[in-house]
Amino acid sequence: MEETRKWKWGKYRWWVLGLLILTWVSITFIATPIQPHIQVAPERILLEPLITLPIIGDFYLVNTLPTLILVDIIIILMALAVKKALQGGNLIPKGITSMVEMLVEVLYNMTETSAGKYTKKIFPWFASIFILVIVANFTKILPGFETIGVLHHYEHGYESQYLAGNWYNIIPVEAHRGAGYILTPFLRGVSTDLNFTLALALIAVFMTQVVGVQTQGLGYFTKFLNVKTIFSKPGLGFIDFLVGFLELISELAKVLSFTFRLFGVMFSGTVLVALMGSMLPIFAPAGIFLFELFMGAIQAFVFGMLTMVFMVQATQGHGEQADH
Amino acid sequence: MDGELIQAGKFIGAGLSMIGAAGAGVGIGLLVQGALNGMARNPDAYGNLLTTMILGIAFAEAIAIYCLVVSFMMLFVL
Repeated sequence: MEETRKWKWGKYRWWVLGLLILTWVSITFIATPIQPHIQVAPERILLEPLITLPIIGDFYLVNTLPTLILVDIIIILMALAVKKALQGGNLIPKGITSMVEMLVEVLYNMTETSAGKYTKKIFPWFASIFILVIVANFTKILPGFETIGVLHHYEHGYESQYLAGNWYNIIPVEAHRGAGYILTPFLRGVSTDLNFTLALALIAVFMTQVVGVQTQGLGYFTKFLNVKTIFSKPGLGFIDFLVGFLELISELAKVLSFTFRLFGVMFSGTVLVALMGSMLPIFAPAGIFLFELFMGAIQAFVFGMLTMVFMVQATQGHGEQADH
Repeated sequence: MDGELIQAGKFIGAGLSMIGAAGAGVGIGLLVQGALNGMARNPDAYGNLLTTMILGIAFAEAIAIYCLVVSFMMLFVL
């Protein structure tokens, strides 16, 4: 019979207490949180467009672009670190290599149980989308994210307070109409931009069709345009044709659902953290943030998993369903 | 007066559109019930069932997120 140890306080309670006191000090003396200005479209950092293309229009420097560059740099540095560690020659990984190896192994096994012999084609898409989205969602934990930025004039804004040099602070005092400021952060989570999620969704669905054509040849498109059974089975053959048409609509629905699932979860998380930070700034945002990180990881996994499942379905034709 | 009416309409619409999240709640509850039943019958399958349950919860929650997105659109965009 094992004896149970008496539960004792750990040593991290001093860290938690110290951080709570630091939070209280910074809220009372340095910067009190304000009600956030929520905007679905990412805010513009510079008010003039960067480049203007003739037909498409203006391209502004938006909130989420520096974040995207940061996420790309983090992923590239991770890949370079793993490569350097693998060049040493010892097969036992430690540190970041072991983490990446575990991740790749778990994803590869998952792909292998579903895909069978097409694993090598499908696995890169699953892993790339997963790693990109999970790093993009975990980058939101860096300090200064969505809090440090440019103060813009705004009608219903707040007053600002001068700190030092070129740094101002925004204080929760409503300003007169037309003379207030709001904050436009420098960095905003990448997944809260509808363009990012739409691009990923379009890539995923388009590559699903490509994988289908690669494995089944041009006969893959009879999934959508099913005219084989119109004349052989008179009544039901026409229903097959309508089912093919429904499949086409379902592909478009997949694009929409991919986009709005990721965008909705991450954007509502951002809004929740900002609102909770303005209402109960001392301890509550930490709990909400943990929940948001968990949801971000789950959404990355779901995005990748759904892409993988759709690709596996694209490699299996109609007739093979009768084999089960 | 017109601007206030539109603002009131926005708030009412945003509130009404979140009724759809009830379906997601029921769906997630049914999912966890099924997963717990399976885990109780067969404790060895815990890892497999957990992964599949988390995946299913993400799908069911996505419907509630669509309602939330419509609600945000009504409040902040349109």
